[in-house]
Amino acid sequence: MSSTTLEPNPSRRGAHAGSASSGKLPGDAISTGPGPSFLRVLNSEFIKFRTLLSTLILLACTVLVVVGFGALSAWGTGQFAEEALRDPQAAASFAAQGGDLAVGVPTSGIAFAQLILGSLGVLLMSSEFSTGMARSTFAAVPKRTPAFVAKLLVVMLTAFVVTVVSVYLAGLLSLPILGNYDLKLDLASSQSVKMLLVNSVYVAAVAAIGMALGSLLRNSAGGIMSLVGLFFVAPIAFQLIPGDFFVQTRKYLPGNTVEPMTAVQHMPDTLEAWQAALVLGAWVVVPVVLAAVVLKKRDV
Amino acid sequence: MIEAKGLTKVYGEKTAVSGVNFTVEAGRVTGFLGPNGAGKSTTMRMIMGLDRPTSGTVTVNGAPFASHAAPLRDVGALLDAKAVHTSRTAYNHLRAMAATHSIPKKRVHEVIEMTGLADVAKKKVGGFSLGMGQRLGIAAALLGDPQTVILDEPVNGLDPEGVVWVRNLVKYLASEGRTVFLSSHLMSEMAVTADHLIVIGRGRIIADAPIRDIINGKGRIRTRVRTDQPDQLMQLLAGDGVSVEVQENELLEVTGLDPRQIARAALDSRVMIYELTPLQASLEEAYMELTKDEVEYHSLITTGPSAPVQSGGN
Repeated sequence: MSSTTLEPNPSRRGAHAGSASSGKLPGDAISTGPGPSFLRVLNSEFIKFRTLLSTLILLACTVLVVVGFGALSAWGTGQFAEEALRDPQAAASFAAQGGDLAVGVPTSGIAFAQLILGSLGVLLMSSEFSTGMARSTFAAVPKRTPAFVAKLLVVMLTAFVVTVVSVYLAGLLSLPILGNYDLKLDLASSQSVKMLLVNSVYVAAVAAIGMALGSLLRNSAGGIMSLVGLFFVAPIAFQLIPGDFFVQTRKYLPGNTVEPMTAVQHMPDTLEAWQAALVLGAWVVVPVVLAAVVLKKRDV
Repeated sequence: MIEAKGLTKVYGEKTAVSGVNFTVEAGRVTGFLGPNGAGKSTTMRMIMGLDRPTSGTVTVNGAPFASHAAPLRDVGALLDAKAVHTSRTAYNHLRAMAATHSIPKKRVHEVIEMTGLADVAKKKVGGFSLGMGQRLGIAAALLGDPQTVILDEPVNGLDPEGVVWVRNLVKYLASEGRTVFLSSHLMSEMAVTADHLIVIGRGRIIADAPIRDIINGKGRIRTRVRTDQPDQLMQLLAGDGVSVEVQENELLEVTGLDPRQIARAALDSRVMIYELTPLQASLEEAYMELTKDEVEYHSLITTGPSAPVQSGGN
């Protein structure tokens, strides 16, 4: 940092440009190049996303955990099937479940994907504020909403793609393990594809809710705790607290919308698949819109 | 050109900026001077559309910053040296900002070279010293080659060489016809950098004038006079707006008359004077004078027995 020189001409613009604009021109009359279009802002947010090592580590962790849990679950399911062959009682319950346990193996680590990628959603927004980066971001994009939407797209797309890849890899790895126990899993079956897509959309939704929380609270710890509270604590609390209200409202929690959407048959006392999709959609749209409106109004 | 009209910002019960009006003209360095907490940074954040004014307006080249078609190409700002994600490298930070306006990578490299960051551009910003952070902030401000440059306390944390560099840079930018608005609480820095000065204290504009006028503020012309007839001279000079202070036995300090008037009065009455020295108030003194009632946080130590340091140049 010792050699600093003042370039003879830091300007790519001619020196006369300055005097030309000393009059009262409208602000945008002197702009000499492109401004922040949505695609450019999206590109900027994607650069920001991939140039943080911590982000890449979290994504790698997601893949590892989901694949690891898939393998573990494949082994566990195989053990269970083996048990069932010896014990007639277990065999009965195994048969009752349609022998379809294997189809849930690839998505068995989804709770962790949701936790990690949801937290990532929180962090990507809250760190803008905790590091002061937000001042640079919103000085470059003073309308703010395009930057928010661009970041939301990057977060949701990444969460979706990473979950699809992780779940598919988990499925591939569990095939030989399940094969060891003579269990069959068809990754191309409609139920497998449905499980893969619904869970990936769900994780993208959790990441979006996380980002909205990070934007509203502007605090990493607070955002992650709120997310954990909503997805991990609330379902348990609703189950433990007696009262008709909690039994009735439990199914509307965002974390309880996946099962109805992936179920082969509709279970009693749960939402229909389309209802669950709408509920999850509302859980995304409400906080995201609120966050966007508040972001536009609040001081950075 | 930056124009503020009735610009006000209230945080809860505290008024940070109170109905200020000012114009920052192109082609010169305008200093924004004020003690800590005077409202400088708040004003600059309002110019950049980051803080919403409680009332009033501020425009850059006639339009609010947020309505510019290519904001980074019109206005570049160093608002806070820490406006960077600490885990990102300097190069990637600038590249991400440049991408919003399709500013080519070539320009990113240019501003890195220009600000002397080439050696550390690939390092994480979290490890930067305050001075390197300032250089990165200045690089970001210059990225869009903007017509208007706003720098909040740019010399904070810079080494002496860096201070001189910023001084030359802002003068150069102004000489190109750009609008340069520069804040500082360091009066001495303003005295050698700015052409025009806006002084703010407790959210109000206290002075808005060319720097020369502020240094030679009216009613602040002081002259040191030595005479062997101090009592007689004091009577001769007495009048409206004139104050005479006896410093030593034969040493007087006269405020409100210029040296020529004092010499004329002495000559007419045949009073011998053997020293007549104009004391130009330094900007620091003028600033202290301007802000003495406006400082928000007084340090208790200044009420000690030692007299204020006389820093006027002779």
